Amino acid sequence: MTDRLLKDLADIVRSKNAGPYRITFDILFKDRERYEAVRSTGVIRPETVAAAYGIAVSEVSSFFEIDMANAIKITIRRPRAQGSSGDGDMYGCQHHVPLMLIRVPVA
Amino acid sequence: MAAITVLTPTGTLGYGFGDEALARGMALGPAVIAVDAGSTDPGPYYLGSGKPLVSDVSIKRELTALIRAGRQAGIPVIVGSAGGAGSGVQVDRTAALVRAIAHEEGLSFRLATIRSDIPVERAKRAVAAGEIVDFEAGVPLTGEMLDETVALVAQMGHEPICAALEGGADVIIAGRACDDSVIAAFPIWRGADPALAIHMGKILECGAFSAEPFAMDVMLGTLDGDGFLLEPGSLARRASVKSVAAHSLYERENPFRQSGPGHEIDLSGCRFEQVGDRQVRVRGARLVETADYRVKLEGARLAGYRSIAIAGIRCPTTIRALDGILADVREKALAYFAPAPLGVVFHVYGRDGVMKELEPETAVQREVGLVIEVTAGDQELAHAACHQISGAMLHYHYPGVVNTSGNLAFPYSPSDLDLGPVYEFSAYHLMKADSPTELFPIAYEDL
Repeated sequence: MTDRLLKDLADIVRSKNAGPYRITFDILFKDRERYEAVRSTGVIRPETVAAAYGIAVSEVSSFFEIDMANAIKITIRRPRAQGSSGDGDMYGCQHHVPLMLIRVPVA
Repeated sequence: MAAITVLTPTGTLGYGFGDEALARGMALGPAVIAVDAGSTDPGPYYLGSGKPLVSDVSIKRELTALIRAGRQAGIPVIVGSAGGAGSGVQVDRTAALVRAIAHEEGLSFRLATIRSDIPVERAKRAVAAGEIVDFEAGVPLTGEMLDETVALVAQMGHEPICAALEGGADVIIAGRACDDSVIAAFPIWRGADPALAIHMGKILECGAFSAEPFAMDVMLGTLDGDGFLLEPGSLARRASVKSVAAHSLYERENPFRQSGPGHEIDLSGCRFEQVGDRQVRVRGARLVETADYRVKLEGARLAGYRSIAIAGIRCPTTIRALDGILADVREKALAYFAPAPLGVVFHVYGRDGVMKELEPETAVQREVGLVIEVTAGDQELAHAACHQISGAMLHYHYPGVVNTSGNLAFPYSPSDLDLGPVYEFSAYHLMKADSPTELFPIAYEDL
């Protein structure tokens, strides 16, 4: 079995503000089979996502596996509030890349 | 209960919809047109400054089409979070456009405006009474933070909008409102299950973003006693279980619980079902009332005045030396202008301009874009400091310099641009309200 990048396994990997103090990530899969294949590896979890962004796992505010949507959802605290000094992404919509480059052992 | 159809023309008023989609949507016999006009998403500037998010030109053009359609069908038009942040000046600005439309189109109707501004003194009393809790700001709200706050609004629930409908309003321009409440208000007023209406509101509020292909366009939801049916206005789009389920996750943290004023919606038992090719039926939302009725406060404070300079850097020796150069010019500027405080930020595009400390990649770039940003107590000082930094960088000498004639490629003259006042969020807390309507006064006007 070889590792594949999450972006090549998921249909959609995206980031977006969830209010001014959070960025939420959605990983959506095209079907149940693909979702289960990734989910069951356990690779996408708060610890690995925190590591991908170089943050403490305590900065991950929630993690959901959503069977009815074939989706995984992770939310982190913003290092700085939306629109405050030094923020570079007002909508939080360009923060998905380290997540989509996580390697998942799925054939 | 008779089925009630809500037509939502677009995700944000002013961002557009198709004429064909609106015409087809109106032919399906909606009972109300309801649309959201704002959010905190574009940042704190619109709340702080009172400036509109979308131009008057676009708002007027779209409101004209919607009010015309609403009057023709004899159904109300509801706009929530008017102007972008829903502050009083933004409600007034939108209401002025509605008056102009009534005059120009020769239409007569009852306009209701609902304000959502919270007097700072009211919030201070709540702080003193221990009636304010943090939502996600991470710090408790204090009297000092409220004193710095230049604009403070609360998100209304559906109740003030229902009251305006009860008052006979044909067009409602509401201040800051929960986006789902704007869409849920009419069905709830007509007796629909609030859980289903609010869930439908949450999906419809982005217009056809819950359809595929997604777009700022018309979306309809039809509510009955058992659930609701979603369908895009345009025949070029369809609602699918996947598009609707995906949208249920969008820009919110918890996919199973949705909090609003006075309630929490439990979505864990929700079911989506494909109906034909273009419709999705949704069931299963349940509402739990909360002990207290709490509204979310949104406040903005003036953080200073900003000037920026934009420049490209192509020289590999400068790119290699960049961190040292930035640290040195910042330090010199702070010393030069001391004791006046300055906020100096460098956005280094091509390296970590977007994600800053969250950026894991460290590859050396061929070219980087630099934005120098200075925030100071007044515009003149911000401009002076920004120019001092951009000038110092332009002619900075560092070990190994190859090109001694300038380190920055400016695309513009002037190199330093004044961006005006800068705002930051100062309140994002929950405040207990005595009733769902006490904070949101309604004014009527027969046009």
